[in-house]
Amino acid sequence: MSTPDDVDLDRVWTNVAAEVWRRHPGRLERSAARLLKSPGLARALLTTPSLLLPWLIASTVVLGAGALAQVGAGAPLVWLIAPAVAAVGIGYAYGPGVDPAWELSCSMAVSDRMVLLTRAVAVFTVNAVLGLVASAATLGTAASVGTAQLTFGWLLPMTAVCALTLAVAVAARSASVGAAAGVATWIILVLARSVTGAPASGSGGRGALNASGAARLTAAITDANLYLPYLAVTACCIAAVIYATRPQRGIH
Amino acid sequence: MNIELSELTRKFGRTVAVDQVSLDAGPGVLGLLGPNGAGKTSLLRMLATVLPPSSGSLRLLDRNPARPADRREVRRRLGYLPQNLGYYPSFTVADFVEYFALLKEIPPHLVPKAVATAIEKVDLGPKARARLRTLSGGMLRRVGIAQAIVNEPQLLLFDEPTAGLDPEQRVAFRALMRDLGQTATVIVSTHLVEDVGAACAEVALMAEGKIVFRGSPEELTVRGVGHGVGDAPLERGYSAVLASARTAS
Repeated sequence: MSTPDDVDLDRVWTNVAAEVWRRHPGRLERSAARLLKSPGLARALLTTPSLLLPWLIASTVVLGAGALAQVGAGAPLVWLIAPAVAAVGIGYAYGPGVDPAWELSCSMAVSDRMVLLTRAVAVFTVNAVLGLVASAATLGTAASVGTAQLTFGWLLPMTAVCALTLAVAVAARSASVGAAAGVATWIILVLARSVTGAPASGSGGRGALNASGAARLTAAITDANLYLPYLAVTACCIAAVIYATRPQRGIH
Repeated sequence: MNIELSELTRKFGRTVAVDQVSLDAGPGVLGLLGPNGAGKTSLLRMLATVLPPSSGSLRLLDRNPARPADRREVRRRLGYLPQNLGYYPSFTVADFVEYFALLKEIPPHLVPKAVATAIEKVDLGPKARARLRTLSGGMLRRVGIAQAIVNEPQLLLFDEPTAGLDPEQRVAFRALMRDLGQTATVIVSTHLVEDVGAACAEVALMAEGKIVFRGSPEELTVRGVGHGVGDAPLERGYSAVLASARTAS
């Protein structure tokens, strides 16, 4: 069968291929594109390594196990592991060595700074929601002691630890260094406060001992004297990230 | 001029990677030759606005990339293939090219056709729906070239574009470069002297951060007359210029 001379078959094929190969964004991506006013930024957000399904499953399993331990044994694990899990997620959200096409992304019109900040906010939000769900699941148990302070109080240290992780990851240009710094700082803080913080007064018995141990371990969360330092660390680290990722003005 | 460099310098600590390079280039294919560590990749990364210069001035597409608004506009009209192309293993070829089309802010309704055109240009149509983890090194390189040309850039920067390509693919790529060079400025950094001879109207040879030769491939060939090192005339020219640059320094 012949075709008329004025038909450009290459052009026809390109149009066909464009339709066959086109990807249809899901509802989440379309919503993100509308919210962010950038289809590119929305796509970059959905490729965040620490928002991919395997990572989310791992985070859910860790927090779920923490919640079970908290309900069963009374150990305040959710409050202690939520900041660390979020910090690792933030560290691995974006950067050289994490994002395979990072070098290429740095030459794109959608700025890599926007990609970094959008991904960091998204990872933080997802981890905060996971932590809140896990924390809510432990409400009413012996370990929760029924205090809203303990149930939601870990959000503040989590914010500080995440901001620190992000700042170190950006400064060191290494996700692993950032994540290690965030987690190590949190562990040191928890251990230091459990040694120096005021233990709960107890009058003997195994239950009282457990309560006393939990109170020691959660001192880094419950100590109101730390709230201001947490806020200060968060503010300083965010300022450091914004400064470190400022558009390079060069010397022109 | 699409590229105007004046005394452009880039230092890493005490190491001077690019040393006061001045260069102008309009549409056409310019080959950037030089040994390892000559500063080609650093120069290309500065042109790609990935790396800020330490000193000197840089204008791309009549804009100053130091200004955020100008840089964004330059990036919309820029194509860049880095030496080490990272890729997302689970993406298909079309997904990958589309991702960078979106990051280059091509209007979304134009993206599918731009993606299809770019994939066809690198002859990857039959693999458009294949996942990147299933492709060979040469095919991945072509995917990288496709993302670089998806926005029909006015400035194209290729760092070792033919690495991993088989001879037939290299010939096709040279033809593509010549075609792109009709309207755009194409800078090709390569070790392969024969690529330059076949596809580039002009050659710049870098050594120790400086441009030590600028001219046509024919002029570079003439420099090699009577020089013993190299299998082909252009290779002899390349090694003769390098030898004289080393002697001078």
